[in-house]
Amino acid sequence: MNTTIITNIQGFSIHDGPGIRTVVFFKGCLLSCRWCANPECLSKKPEIGFIHSLCQQCGKCLEVCPNNAIRSGEDVYRIERLRCDSCGKCVENCDYGALVRYGDLMTVDEVWDAVRRDKMFYDTSGGGVTASGGEPLLHAQFVKELFQLCHNERIGTCIETSGFVDTDAFLEVIPVTERFLFDLKHMDSVTHKKYTGQFNDQILKNARVVVESGVNVLFRQPLIPGVNDTTTHIEATAAFLKTLGKKALSLELMPYHRMGQDKYKALNMEYRMENTPIMSYDELEAIKKAYMDLGINCSISR
Amino acid sequence: MVTINNDLLNQIDGLEISERIQQWKNAVKDSHWKLFCDRERWTLASWKETEGEDIQIRRAKMLRKILENIEIKIQDFDVIVGRLTPDVIGCATAFDISGDYIPDIWKDTAELNITMDASVGLDAESLEVLRESVRLFKGSTAPEMTYKAWASIVGSWVTDAEKARLKDPTLDTGIFAQSTSVLMWEKILKQGIRSVIDDAKKRIEDYAKEPETDGQKLIFWESVIMVCEAAIHHSHRYALLAREMAETEKNGNRKAELLEIARICEQVPENPARTFHEALQSMAIVGVCKNYENPMHNNPQWGRGDQYLYPYFIHDLNKGTITLEKAAELLMELVGRWGTQTFVSAESLKESHQINFAINNIMLGGVNREGLDSSNELSYLFLHIVGLLRLSSPTVGLRWNRNTPDWIMSKAIRTNLVTKGGIPLFENDEVVIPHFVEDGIPRDEAGEWCGLGCVYPCLPSRAEHYGSEGVAAVNLAAMLHLVFHNGIDVNGRLTGVPTGDPREFSSFDELYSALLTQHEYITHRVFELAAIARDEQGKHLRLPFLSAMGIEQCMELGQDLLIPHPDFTMMGISDRAIIDVTDSLMAVKKLVYDEKKLTMDELLNALDADFEGPRGEEIRQMCLAQPKYGNDIDEVDRLAGTLSADSYRIIRSYDNSPFRKYIIAREGLAWHYFGGLGVGALPNGRKAYEPLNDGALSPMRGRDKKGPTAVLRSAIKAGFKESFASVLNQKFSATMIQSKDSVEKLVAYTNAFMLNGGSHIQYNIVDTNELRDAKIHPEKHEDLIVRIGGFSAYFTQLSPDIQDDVINRNEHHM
Repeated sequence: MNTTIITNIQGFSIHDGPGIRTVVFFKGCLLSCRWCANPECLSKKPEIGFIHSLCQQCGKCLEVCPNNAIRSGEDVYRIERLRCDSCGKCVENCDYGALVRYGDLMTVDEVWDAVRRDKMFYDTSGGGVTASGGEPLLHAQFVKELFQLCHNERIGTCIETSGFVDTDAFLEVIPVTERFLFDLKHMDSVTHKKYTGQFNDQILKNARVVVESGVNVLFRQPLIPGVNDTTTHIEATAAFLKTLGKKALSLELMPYHRMGQDKYKALNMEYRMENTPIMSYDELEAIKKAYMDLGINCSISR
Repeated sequence: MVTINNDLLNQIDGLEISERIQQWKNAVKDSHWKLFCDRERWTLASWKETEGEDIQIRRAKMLRKILENIEIKIQDFDVIVGRLTPDVIGCATAFDISGDYIPDIWKDTAELNITMDASVGLDAESLEVLRESVRLFKGSTAPEMTYKAWASIVGSWVTDAEKARLKDPTLDTGIFAQSTSVLMWEKILKQGIRSVIDDAKKRIEDYAKEPETDGQKLIFWESVIMVCEAAIHHSHRYALLAREMAETEKNGNRKAELLEIARICEQVPENPARTFHEALQSMAIVGVCKNYENPMHNNPQWGRGDQYLYPYFIHDLNKGTITLEKAAELLMELVGRWGTQTFVSAESLKESHQINFAINNIMLGGVNREGLDSSNELSYLFLHIVGLLRLSSPTVGLRWNRNTPDWIMSKAIRTNLVTKGGIPLFENDEVVIPHFVEDGIPRDEAGEWCGLGCVYPCLPSRAEHYGSEGVAAVNLAAMLHLVFHNGIDVNGRLTGVPTGDPREFSSFDELYSALLTQHEYITHRVFELAAIARDEQGKHLRLPFLSAMGIEQCMELGQDLLIPHPDFTMMGISDRAIIDVTDSLMAVKKLVYDEKKLTMDELLNALDADFEGPRGEEIRQMCLAQPKYGNDIDEVDRLAGTLSADSYRIIRSYDNSPFRKYIIAREGLAWHYFGGLGVGALPNGRKAYEPLNDGALSPMRGRDKKGPTAVLRSAIKAGFKESFASVLNQKFSATMIQSKDSVEKLVAYTNAFMLNGGSHIQYNIVDTNELRDAKIHPEKHEDLIVRIGGFSAYFTQLSPDIQDDVINRNEHHM
């Protein structure tokens, strides 16, 4: 039976494709974008998150941890990441919800069972399932099997991808996928590597493959102040989209937010975007207009 | 089906609050709430004059005296006249209705506490009038006499049961049959109330010709003639006042307005309304007369205003005799006035309802006789103006059916956003109408249903007795408390029936059947008491105006609605806290019987200690961790369904003949606070005396962990098919539904729930203040999910500065 690690299955998602959707968050991603809002999906392995503000220091987790991985400091507890094997015993025993486990091993049938339950909402809204993450295409076979089941029950299928996977992964899922939400983070390959850890050539190549396959695709861009909001970059993005043909002349901007910051803390990870400002409504509208002026049908995800 | 004029809808969207309405709003905001003793003054005078006369005639003369003499006023911004008190915000007392119901009146005070958080000013002279009235009526009113009758039969049981929150104490709140329901507006507008007088006169003439012997009928019709003439006279007083004011008015425009007021008040409500303006003015006068007759919980209600007012609205617009702006302003004036009417609550109502403003209901849309949806441009205008007014009252409902068009649904969702939630709520025609039809109500009549106050579906054509005989609700959670204590309630009184020590129960089934035993004992006893109340009330109170304006059959039968007749009487009850009990039973089943992690003794001891003591918190966490309704878990959702069906069976097994059996509608209001006060700690993990779950199908706070769609799936599975409507509240942050796209998604979401059998849903849009509160008191807001650009989190788990981000976003888009 095909299994993989899933961090979350979120019903009533309204920003991740058409209609009301259930988003399945796969674990693991080959990029490490500094602004990533889902840091718990970066590693392929299950992890334990620790929400300091909820901890009452009752000591139960210290008692139950088989690996002695939780340490009590002067006023906070801390997880020794090297000792922790993410068994989840501390999570089960925490009365205050201060410990969370990110990542559960699930079969296709288990995910399917969670997804199909909201069929009545997909039916009235034109929604369905969205595979997200992490990078869902690192689990292409799993996604394919899941989407096949959805397809049979007329449940919409959508993939949110960074594009940074082997082209074969795309080819595997395209026949059962209705729609791609395809991220374009930066058009300059060196800058791309600086902020995401990887060059962008593979991503741009896959973008072309997806468009040429004829499947529905919406390109999206996380809009990061100081990184990809310059006029030069707007022009470069528009120019690239134009090379893909008429079908690809749309772009959805996803304004930077720091809602994921707490999860960095919970995972003991460094948040490298500390001083990035939140764009105002007017600034966002100005960038949208710049794209529109270049012939790109631009929208803002809010 | 009406063809909808899309241009008109667009024009409505562009309407803003007018200067005149803004003046009124400012006046409301600036005015000190005042108590007016004028009604009491004339009530007293009349009552002294009529000593020894028949109660029906006495009550009619009393209303006449009030209508002829009470101080009236036309404010500068009034175009529609007729207001309960001269000032924009004011309230009147009703000692003749509810007796000695305001303890504050005996205190040495210049302020009278009228609701949980509002007081009214009082001067010494007024206080003396009020006290004189209390002395006169004290002990002889319908509720007080009913309590005496009850006490003579069951001793202190009623007050014990009320203190233990097993039943609602609705009697002293002045709710009498039909009093919160809807008048025959269509007839009143089409025919005028002169037609009712003519009808009564005709019946009196016919009576003389027939071999009739029931003199009470004659007396009833005479009382109707008296009060209807008085209502016409009251309107003419306004006409006179307007003419006087016009004579000295310098401003030409205002002078013309005053003369127009005078002209219209001479026409209506006596004669048929011919224009939209006349229709609203007619309603204003009839409404205020209804209120003078009984100021307690008897405010005018709109009912299906978008239907009976539509012909006047669209005719005047099409003919060009009124502009849209003017029509909207007039409608806003009356909606606003009725929505800000206050009354002095009885103590019990303060606790259970926590309301400042008298509830009144507008029910929009719904299927027509041909089975098509009847939403129209006026429905749209109603939604738009409640969005502009942003008042806590009226309650607005939209009757959903599978033909309800998207344009009205999306306006309804957008109105929810503007009003920050709850307006309008959604109720399901496809659940309510079949329920009425199954109960023997003709299809056409059932199709006219609307909301009684908030959610409870009622028929305007019949006298609704929900709450009026001292019973609106029974509390299943308090019954479970009885089971855990062998019939002894939270105050140590044996209000239940001894069902044995649960420690001796050998199975879950035994526990469950003990609950049903308590239920049957309490509920049937409450029904028996209601029957006594039914007989008793009519001896002490009559409402001739309400009878004549509200119920056609009252006229035909020659009988006041305080003397209930099976032909026009509906009875209903709300069996509350089913989900609290379901979650609790499930926890006992798992922990004590299935998995044997606790003994019944350990559990009960922990409950009695309110989860304090050495193992208290541990046991509470075990309780909280058990399967909870609202997460799409079959076992617990089905248990809720079973309990719902059993509760229905018990209620319906009461033979209420010659009256109809009780119907069930599970509404909620702010009752969960009140209901919780009679219930010790529960095995669902709730601590003693804490509020119960709100609504009927809402999950336990903070315990729905699988998102909003899972809650709806649980609700659909639990079914509650036995109930006409079951309240389900859901909370969304404003940031979640600010784009056009998200509005459409919430429409689809609502449609899916209703298509699959949901009966009611109401959305609370979380406003910035609530987010701020959640930051300070996370324990009260555990269920608050925020969703931003695909990111989703429980608000309380975010760190303070991220919470501020969310708060800022929320503010920006509101």
